[in-house]
Amino acid sequence: MKDILTIIFRLTITCILAATVMGSAFIITNKAKKHNEHVNEQKVRYSLLGYSAAKPIPESMALHEMYRYVVTDKESQAIGYLLPGKEGFFFLTLDMEGKVIANKPADIAESAVLEKDLRDKVVQEIAGAGKSVTFADQTIIVTNNGQRVAYLLDGKFTGFKTFIGVMLAVDPKFSILGLEILEHEEDPGLGAEIERDYFRNQFKGKTFDQLKDLDVVKEPLPDEYFQALEGNIAAADAAKILAQYGDRDIYALTGATISSRYVNTGVKSIVKKFAYRLNILDTALAEQKITAAF
Amino acid sequence: MANDKTSMQLIARGILSENPIFKLALSMCPAVGISTTVINGLMLGIAVLFVQVFSSVTISLFKNKIHPRIRIPTYTLTIATWVTVIDLALAAYLPDAYARMGIFVKLIVAFAIITMRLEMFACKESANDSFWDGLGMGLGFLVGMVVIGFVRELLGSGAILGYDVLGFKPLLFFILPSAGFFVVGLMMAFFNWIELAYKRTKGKI
Repeated sequence: MKDILTIIFRLTITCILAATVMGSAFIITNKAKKHNEHVNEQKVRYSLLGYSAAKPIPESMALHEMYRYVVTDKESQAIGYLLPGKEGFFFLTLDMEGKVIANKPADIAESAVLEKDLRDKVVQEIAGAGKSVTFADQTIIVTNNGQRVAYLLDGKFTGFKTFIGVMLAVDPKFSILGLEILEHEEDPGLGAEIERDYFRNQFKGKTFDQLKDLDVVKEPLPDEYFQALEGNIAAADAAKILAQYGDRDIYALTGATISSRYVNTGVKSIVKKFAYRLNILDTALAEQKITAAF
Repeated sequence: MANDKTSMQLIARGILSENPIFKLALSMCPAVGISTTVINGLMLGIAVLFVQVFSSVTISLFKNKIHPRIRIPTYTLTIATWVTVIDLALAAYLPDAYARMGIFVKLIVAFAIITMRLEMFACKESANDSFWDGLGMGLGFLVGMVVIGFVRELLGSGAILGYDVLGFKPLLFFILPSAGFFVVGLMMAFFNWIELAYKRTKGKI
């Protein structure tokens, strides 16, 4: 009996000590981690648009965030968009046919909208009690002097093992400007090669029409194409080679055809769905004569 | 059982005569799973080194306070704590390395080699000796991972440290997990052969 009490006592003390150590480590590192994530996100966005630290983004360009929500209650389902307007954000709800159900201003600050918890709370308040809102995805609309120049799409799809998270940049005609793999758990040395330049850059420059029936082929990647994709040769030569291979299908990764296929179908479906949704949203905005910031 | 080895002997024992991978054949899962390139092996090796040293010293400091019946849960808790700390620190300060090591860091909790060192050594010896023993074992694991990574990267992707040295991929098979066992087996034979040859020259056999 005495043993049990000592065991309980000592294990409790051990657990409390362990929790203290882990908790302190969390408090110390959390700020740096959040900062890193933010910096990394910004870097990915700018690099997809072709800008870097050496070539900063011009003043006339602006990034507008658009959040898509699914609003459901017992009978119906609707799509809600949290959009930046001329002054502050507004929340636009569309039914499944693309008709506007409601358009209400959203009382949320520019900095608060980036925090998912705060954003979700505001959206829930606008949608009203009895409705359930689920965050679907976010899109960044890039404008230059008020003209749309690109869209940055966040996406997630299944891979060979777990989910693959990507960010895509497309131009207003939905041609792909760039693909970045944000997270994945594919096999190192095989499926993990999806994050290498020679695979990702194959998607670059594919137009919306090409994308519709883009396939994956199990053929060896030609060496000159590989070197051009990796950026190992002079820019002028690389551009020539890339143009020559521009209309080809995606070359599968050696030993990771399945991962390659998943990325291909994932990218295709993200762009196709986005093009469809944006069309509906733009029509609705034009019909209701609503001016958004983009 | 007092420890009669010097710090240098403890380190040498971890790397050579009791190398966790080639001699003790412990923690084979990660060795086989992640050692596809030199860098991967090196980074997991460093993480294991830290966890091993911290855990050994912690257990050694508290060895009189640990109830003998619940020593395994205590070890696991200690290891888990240090793994979490290192996981958080890596994610915060070395995000690039963390992105590559991914889930493998969290797996260190279940590494047999760490628990085994705590049970065999740290719970009996002084904190100072435990530090050197942990360092030796951690280094032994690190060296093992780097050597396996070297062979697999060279044969599997024809590269060393990411630089293409062969210009072609000799045997893709070596990247796959199953090939890890072949490499470990061949390495074991090689290390044993060296040891035998060394003993023979000394006239011990």
